Amino acid sequence: MDTIVKAKDLSKHFGPIHAVDGVDMTVRAGEIYGLLGPNGSGKTTLIRLMIGLLRPTSGSVITLGQDMPNKAILAQVGYMTQASALYEDLTVRENVAFFAEMCGGASRARIDEVVALIDLQDRADSLVHTLSGGMKQRTSLACALVHHPRLLLLDEPTVGVDPQLRAAFWEYFRQLADEGVTLIVSSHVMDEAERCHQLGFIRQGKLLAEGSADELRTQASTATLEGAFLRFAESGATGGER
Amino acid sequence: MNPRRIFILARRIMRQVSRDRRTVGLLVFGPMLMLTLGAILFRANPAAIPLGVVNEDEGLSIPMAGTISLGERIVEELGGSDVFGVVTLRHDEIDDRLRDGTVQGVVVFAEDFSAEFRQNQQAVINLRLEGSNPTRSMAITARVSQTAMKALAGLTSMGLGMAGVPQDDESKTKLPVTIEATYLYAGEEFDTMDFIAPVYIGVLAMFFVFLLACVSFLRERSLGTMERLLATPATRLEIVLGYMVGLGLFALIQVTVILSFTIWVLNIHYLGNLGLLFLVVALLAVVGVSLGILASAFARNEFQVVQFIPLFVLPQALLGGTFWAVEELPRYLQPFAYFMPLTYANRALRDVMLKGWGLAEIWPNLIILLGLAASLIVLGALTMRREVG
Repeated sequence: MDTIVKAKDLSKHFGPIHAVDGVDMTVRAGEIYGLLGPNGSGKTTLIRLMIGLLRPTSGSVITLGQDMPNKAILAQVGYMTQASALYEDLTVRENVAFFAEMCGGASRARIDEVVALIDLQDRADSLVHTLSGGMKQRTSLACALVHHPRLLLLDEPTVGVDPQLRAAFWEYFRQLADEGVTLIVSSHVMDEAERCHQLGFIRQGKLLAEGSADELRTQASTATLEGAFLRFAESGATGGER
Repeated sequence: MNPRRIFILARRIMRQVSRDRRTVGLLVFGPMLMLTLGAILFRANPAAIPLGVVNEDEGLSIPMAGTISLGERIVEELGGSDVFGVVTLRHDEIDDRLRDGTVQGVVVFAEDFSAEFRQNQQAVINLRLEGSNPTRSMAITARVSQTAMKALAGLTSMGLGMAGVPQDDESKTKLPVTIEATYLYAGEEFDTMDFIAPVYIGVLAMFFVFLLACVSFLRERSLGTMERLLATPATRLEIVLGYMVGLGLFALIQVTVILSFTIWVLNIHYLGNLGLLFLVVALLAVVGVSLGILASAFARNEFQVVQFIPLFVLPQALLGGTFWAVEELPRYLQPFAYFMPLTYANRALRDVMLKGWGLAEIWPNLIILLGLAASLIVLGALTMRREVG
């Protein structure tokens, strides 16, 4: 399988804070890669490095074959930030169309399709500031994937999303992956991790472990992912085997 | 009413304000800066006004005193005053020197100046004025007249001028000195508002789009859409230029309103080409937008944008030639003026409105405005580097 993202000894320091610290990881095509870790563990910084919004302090990250930062690949990348970043005084459709245009454009039919996908047909022409939090979150997702990206980076896409919608999101992520789209999804909710093909445990800027959910449970010899995370975190803190 | 709650609320507000170091700094140093600037400008000893003199007076021969020239006397008196810096000119270079600004007025004494005075007890001084600054014109007229009277007052002992008993009632009311002023530009029908109007137009055109650009750019950053935008193929320069064009439309609408209103409702005099005026103001609006984008990088919230008003706009209005020409400012303030876009816009606008100049004369100012706009756009794009993280 093709390598979509490859990080090598990747670090990003903000003054004394080591937000990302010597991360080596590989994401392959058609994979849903879950970045798992508590708040402040460095997930957002890692995603920003992958998309080239930040320059590494040391090490490197290659995304879609290009050493980042590199604007050239961005038309093939979709990005959803943690807080919904939308133009509040534009409508849902206008927001989706704007981001589509910035990445090379999309047909009217495609925009309708995406709006239908997030189940906002009724509110397509409502101004974003009149929407609920969940609706904004959905609109953000639509903006991230309207242009058929090869790689989707989703930073905590399901925060503040109700369980029903969350299930719908994950079902759709699965569908995209089947179509060959690569997804990197960060989360701090362990039960979401089961749905990923590949997982990376992150804590204090370090990648503690990498593998599928089953592999990680077996390695840690625990019954739950949560238990596995704790086990890896302990051994990481004590300088254990990993 | 619960005094405790009021106190707790007040304490919270004090804590918040004192944490915003910039606001505290502005509260303390802002007024000091403004007051100092004002004091410097209003107190500064005005530089000597360059005044040309053309003296063709042939003088008078007076028994026992020899030949005396009243023109000469007045010139000497003018030269002795610290109000004027006197330059002797030839008759044929008067308007050229007024045009290039090396003199602001020229006093002309005709050949028969002294003779006329003996005959009519009246000195008629021809004063040619540059004319675009009405306040300045009035000051020159008054000072020349005053100085001439002083010079002539000394002549009584020689049996000239005010000596002797007035012949009739008419001469009692006549002043011994009359100034006949003519103007190179503008003229007597222009008032102070005509002089200030070009600047007014400029300040307003720049100020509103500055605020508009600053706040909308800031909002883009605080809502996180800037991060989203930077994660698309759009470059920073493209984003800045997009803002420029997008806000440009509203800037042009505003420019149209400002110009039409001043010209047709407030009846401001203007001599030059209206299209050219529009061009200058539109250029200034472009500068306003880029200044706004640049400034937004240094503001964390809308409140801090408001703080830019006294810092960005007021010094420009004071130093940019609104009331005092840049050359008349204290020397150490002049360099600041040359960095201010308003300085060049003021010049161009006044040249067009008051002097009726065309593109051929004002283009250097337009080029500088363009250059300032371009460098501000680039600077604005560069400040976006600090966008994420």
